[in-house]
Amino acid sequence: MDDLETHEHDVIVIGAGGAGLRAAIEASTQGVSVGLICKSLLGKAHTVMAEGGVAAALANTDSRDNWQVHFRDTMRGGKMLNNWRMAQIHAQEAPERVNELEEWGALFDRTADGRILQRNFGGHRYPRLAHVGDRTGLEMIRTLQNHGIHQGFEVYMECTVTHLFKDGGRIAGAFAYWRDTGRFVLFRAKAIVLATGGIGKAYTVTSNSWEYTGDGHALAFRTGADLIDMEFVQFHPTGMIWPPSVRGILVTEGVRGEGGVLKNSEGERFMFNYVPEMFQGEYAESEEEAQRWLGGDKSARRPPELLTRDVVSRAIRSENLAGRGSPHGGVYLDIASQQDAEFIKRKLPSMYHQFKQLGDVDITRQPMEIGPTCHYVMGGVRVDAETAHSTVPGLFACGEVAGGMHGANRLGGNSLSDLLVFGRRAGKSAVEYAKSQSSAPEIDADEVAQAEREDLAPFEGRGDENPYALLQDLQKCMETYAGIVRTRADLQQGLEELAGLQQRLARVTVEGTRQYNPGWHYALDLHNMLTVSVAIATAALNREESRGAHSRLDFPDSLPDMEKFNLTLTYRDGQLECRREPRPEMPDELKQLIEVGPGELTADDVAPRFERRRGF
Amino acid sequence: MPEPTITLNVSRYRPPDERVPTSQVYTIPYRPDWVVLDALNYIKDQVDGSLSFRWSCRMGVCGSCGMMINGEAKLTCSVFLRDYHPREILVEPLENFPVIKDLVIDMSDFLDKLKIVKPWIIRETEKPTSEGEYLQTPEEMDAYMGFSACINCLLCYAACPIFGVETDFIGPAALALGYRYNQDSRDEGSNMRWNVINDHHGTWQCTFVGECSVVCPKDVDPAAAIQRLKVDTAKHWIRSVLLPWGKRA
Repeated sequence: MDDLETHEHDVIVIGAGGAGLRAAIEASTQGVSVGLICKSLLGKAHTVMAEGGVAAALANTDSRDNWQVHFRDTMRGGKMLNNWRMAQIHAQEAPERVNELEEWGALFDRTADGRILQRNFGGHRYPRLAHVGDRTGLEMIRTLQNHGIHQGFEVYMECTVTHLFKDGGRIAGAFAYWRDTGRFVLFRAKAIVLATGGIGKAYTVTSNSWEYTGDGHALAFRTGADLIDMEFVQFHPTGMIWPPSVRGILVTEGVRGEGGVLKNSEGERFMFNYVPEMFQGEYAESEEEAQRWLGGDKSARRPPELLTRDVVSRAIRSENLAGRGSPHGGVYLDIASQQDAEFIKRKLPSMYHQFKQLGDVDITRQPMEIGPTCHYVMGGVRVDAETAHSTVPGLFACGEVAGGMHGANRLGGNSLSDLLVFGRRAGKSAVEYAKSQSSAPEIDADEVAQAEREDLAPFEGRGDENPYALLQDLQKCMETYAGIVRTRADLQQGLEELAGLQQRLARVTVEGTRQYNPGWHYALDLHNMLTVSVAIATAALNREESRGAHSRLDFPDSLPDMEKFNLTLTYRDGQLECRREPRPEMPDELKQLIEVGPGELTADDVAPRFERRRGF
Repeated sequence: MPEPTITLNVSRYRPPDERVPTSQVYTIPYRPDWVVLDALNYIKDQVDGSLSFRWSCRMGVCGSCGMMINGEAKLTCSVFLRDYHPREILVEPLENFPVIKDLVIDMSDFLDKLKIVKPWIIRETEKPTSEGEYLQTPEEMDAYMGFSACINCLLCYAACPIFGVETDFIGPAALALGYRYNQDSRDEGSNMRWNVINDHHGTWQCTFVGECSVVCPKDVDPAAAIQRLKVDTAKHWIRSVLLPWGKRA
């Protein structure tokens, strides 16, 4: 271990998307030494692909908005499984975080009087998403990157972490390899913040890219941290589906926010038929009412195309099962009939170019063919709401890798605000924790040697398994058995196949040297993807009901008893434990915010409504 | 009928075993809906797992997959095989940068250049966040919005003949970024940027070839930004004698 490249920081942040950058910025302003490790280039993380906007109750575009309504929308969108304290903190702090970003230089579309303009999005009662056209994520990551690069933290780019170390119970450091040289590097740290994003690469049709292999989820899990809500994987209703080469690429929900409608092959706006009981009375009941809403009539209700993502994805699936789908298994998203060409090009420039270029479709004249695509994981590392601290001392998690905030289904726009709110909190708490440690943790040399052996195993292999073939089989398995709809038999079959893939993984062999070797990178990523896939399938098997993004054909209803717990997974002695974690009782004042009817909701005007919520 | 194919002639470089780049020819199935990136991923996944290149979003926003395609700087996620088929496609790493391996370039120098133009809002006095956002009208935003869409893909550096011979040149994207902040109505820091922009590695090295704007996939138009910076620099020199703090004109 003596000749191993070693770096030492008080706080290490793993992942440089929105959450990791915000955490690193916060930590470095507290005057400690901070290292930021990312597996791709700085500024290329998945945040850059976010399009529609960042949700915050600024009340610029509709003065009726406030944090209470945002909290209510988030909890109802999450089908009541959210960590309510996280949802509360998120709704309360998001406006300040957005304003802060603006002050750091972020560009936003503006109201005529110069304030940040907000747009409509699914599940948000009022126009709430601060945005710049349909490239909000790019603006956000660039602003954080530019703000961050003069803050004084060290950046380790194209460096992939494969192991975390502990000293006794507390976190001690991380083991990684440089992607370009393949050399190993050791990071010693008092505190580590995971901000590694999601797991979408475990599915065939996905808006996620090669980086999204569940690294943080798996690292935390193997280090002894709890995972929570892993059964909830979000399938975004609008991904591109044609031509096949672009299948899965995201089409922003902003298209619907700006007036786009969903139609089946018969030209019917089918979403009117899919308003769940929970949202009855809150959405327009006729096309006429929906048109008035689009025209700015505040007495009209929102069109049902703006229902939450879980509901819309399932509706698209149902339309296809009923034989009313589009030729390639989706439905039509049409904004051409709702807005003029100039408006579309101004508000959705990236979508216009994306379809024109990749799909040969002019969205100002023609409808888009779209269908569900794996987009986001609600589940993640179980953290304390205030501090983002995981169940392992010194290990923090924020952004997509953290669980709890979004419950059973995330609202669009709540991810970018989540990154800012909890990125900042994680950075701050990690510093406080690091400062509280009187001695630097030690890393066991034997564990380092073991990590090195494990990472090099694919070169030593005598097996005949190709990592790419294994990846494809894993994706197919998850898509088939743990996708938009699940059954007990499917999930059991899926788990069985995952066990088989685990055995094949031991036989994976890669060729070439360690220098920038994508086959080797896949081989190591597969360990994480398998860990996460087993966690998803296990949790999905154990939640015998349908709720939010988790749909069980054999248990089609939401059951009131199942609202009382989250599923928590722990890895102990090589075994995975799944248990029901009772949900803490919500304070009455928050309960009231949620139970209030679909009328006006302001801070002073909340009344409990004693109605049983069911049929999510 | 045999399945149609297409041939990609791909630059390979594997130090320390290879001292100079070589090329390798791959003939793969031709699919008209594939972009060059799809073809490269097909090669990596099905033919040769050792081929290295960067990519991520597949939708032209991350700026990772820039390469030279038949000698032109392009995002490989945005150029179709059908535009070349049945001809061979030559794939090389971005021009003007050191190559790490195969199609992967060393761009660490670029991040340093971004930093020196101070790409953040600089204010005489900072306003507390609790007071809300800085006001900026849609018209004020339009003044710089076009220059803010850079995805750091480096195509403009690969196309710039000046950068090709003078690597200290700050270059198109970084100068456009500096201009973007100078034009931002919220910013009062243009004074702090002039010394860099006016430096001999700054705007004055540009001879207005304009290739940067031609290759930009986001229509940022760095060439226009640089020309306007030159005009502003001249104006600034006169004004700086009269005004202590760089108020915007």
